[in-house]
Amino acid sequence: MLTCRGLRKDYVTERGEVAAVAGIDLEIAAGRYAAIIGRSGSGKSSLMAMIGGLSRPSQGQVTVDGTDIWSLSENALAAFRNKRIGYVFQFASLLPTLRLVDNVALPAMLGGGARSSTTYARAAALLGQMGLGDYLDAYPSEVSAGEQRRAVIARALINEPALILADEPTSDLDEQTEIEIMDELLAVNRERGTTLVLVTHNLALAEQAEQIVHIAHGTLVP
Amino acid sequence: MRLLASLALQNLGRRKARSLLLIMAVAVASGVVFTGATLMRSIDSSMAVGFTRLGADMMVVPEGALTNITAALLTVEPTDLVLDQDLFARAGIASVSRAAPQKIARVEHSGIGSHHDSVDLIGFDAALDFTVRPWLVEKINRDMRPGDVILGAARAAPLGSELLIFGKAHTVYGRLGKTGVGTHERGVFMTFDTLEALAGSIHGHGHGHGGGPPAVLQKGKVSGFLVELAPGATPLQARFAILSTLKGVKVVTGDSTMSGIRQGLAALLNGILALMVLMFASTALMVSVLFSAIVTERRGELGLLKAIGARRGQIVGMMVIEAVIATGAGGVLGVALGVLVMRLYERSLVYYLENIGVPFVWLDGPRIVIVAVAAVVMASIIGALGSLYPAWRASRRDPYDLVRGEG
Repeated sequence: MLTCRGLRKDYVTERGEVAAVAGIDLEIAAGRYAAIIGRSGSGKSSLMAMIGGLSRPSQGQVTVDGTDIWSLSENALAAFRNKRIGYVFQFASLLPTLRLVDNVALPAMLGGGARSSTTYARAAALLGQMGLGDYLDAYPSEVSAGEQRRAVIARALINEPALILADEPTSDLDEQTEIEIMDELLAVNRERGTTLVLVTHNLALAEQAEQIVHIAHGTLVP
Repeated sequence: MRLLASLALQNLGRRKARSLLLIMAVAVASGVVFTGATLMRSIDSSMAVGFTRLGADMMVVPEGALTNITAALLTVEPTDLVLDQDLFARAGIASVSRAAPQKIARVEHSGIGSHHDSVDLIGFDAALDFTVRPWLVEKINRDMRPGDVILGAARAAPLGSELLIFGKAHTVYGRLGKTGVGTHERGVFMTFDTLEALAGSIHGHGHGHGGGPPAVLQKGKVSGFLVELAPGATPLQARFAILSTLKGVKVVTGDSTMSGIRQGLAALLNGILALMVLMFASTALMVSVLFSAIVTERRGELGLLKAIGARRGQIVGMMVIEAVIATGAGGVLGVALGVLVMRLYERSLVYYLENIGVPFVWLDGPRIVIVAVAAVVMASIIGALGSLYPAWRASRRDPYDLVRGEG
């Protein structure tokens, strides 16, 4: 269960304080696919960054499976992000100097604990599931944008998170690739029971969601 | 740690030209510091030998003692008058850098030379001496022990041979070079303990002492002091300070030109040291500026790493390791360049100096290795310090700010 209470994010600009998110209460049940929609600048990415432990709220609370994530210490929050949340960003977020298999294994390696051989076997298996079994040793620059995005999904799954946050993951892809990537994400949601929160301004993608969260000017639109 | 080191290495490999320039810049700085430090220490040692061979800056003897002023103040002159051995230690005169006490007893029937030859037995304090041992031209390959004597240039005896002085066996430890100073060339030198041990035997043999051993052979008494000035002090200042602080003494001044040269060179070496410190500091600043730019360039990646669970320590560690690898490699390269420069120096200037009889004392091998290791370690520390602040700042930012290119 993902819960937000009185969530607010203010940015200080030259024109004074601007509220990107102006007090949002929200609940997303575990295992659900939720889409956050809204126009550019509506505050949906800021909301997702606070939900994902990436940006500290100016006010309010985010609870993931009973853990108030912003009350955690910095290292505990890093560990929480590492173990419980998978991210798929709106840009090609692979480290260019690492092979695809290294990129996928990276979160597990950063978290420590797991044996390197086990982690790499799991990374290879995930890349295989994403249809990238032949590209384990390829560098990001050697594969297409769609393949890079699939590798990012594999990376998001390496630590078997409870929650996947995808911030406009297909905005720079062609229509066919967009469909393929969304199919992968929805399969993860259905087959693994992982909660999926998708930020998008594509209404067609949002219509498939079990819950739609509409934001305008930093507040929920009923 | 292995993961961070691996990431750091890969990051360095991404911008090969920039990494190479950073390594070269650090190599130049650490090469200069390594070469400079080694040469400075070598020049310092050479000066220690060369200048001490020129003698002390001044000599302090009991008031009323007769003195024979020579071009070089290497030994005090025999006298019946004595001073306390701890005179300078007690007084603590700022304008005096070193004061080496000496005992000198002119004796006859000692067993050295022909029966009536008078011999100067000269005792020195091994810890403070700077006018006797720099003149050693040959010696036994071990430290000096009680019972060892050093012979002036005018006295011949094989090294390690036994020499009887007043019937007591002594070992010839070493021989001094020619100085042109009579007392020094004809003297038989030994440590205070060895000389004091002869006091009982000299009884009745001492020249002009009416049967008693010379007063200077008593423990804690000396014939005088050979004085080296502190850096920046003038002979006039030191003379005034000594005469106003110590009672019953006479100050004999040596060649002031040499004092000036000695002090000038010491100041020059200190100046070079200051320049080297500045060079290292400017390299640290350069590394810091460079890593600020690298952090700015990689904000997105650092944000991503934080997002997928990298802790602050891991972010800082990765950046610092990257800098340490680059600057450490620069340090190693700098030492290698420094060795080449010193080989050239050895084949040119040092060769010339030694040909004209000016000794150049290189630092010994282990010390050169220590300086080399220190240069590499310092280069690595500069990398660590230079990258620490930008990395620490970046690690404090929220991942989202970094991913968006802020912070």
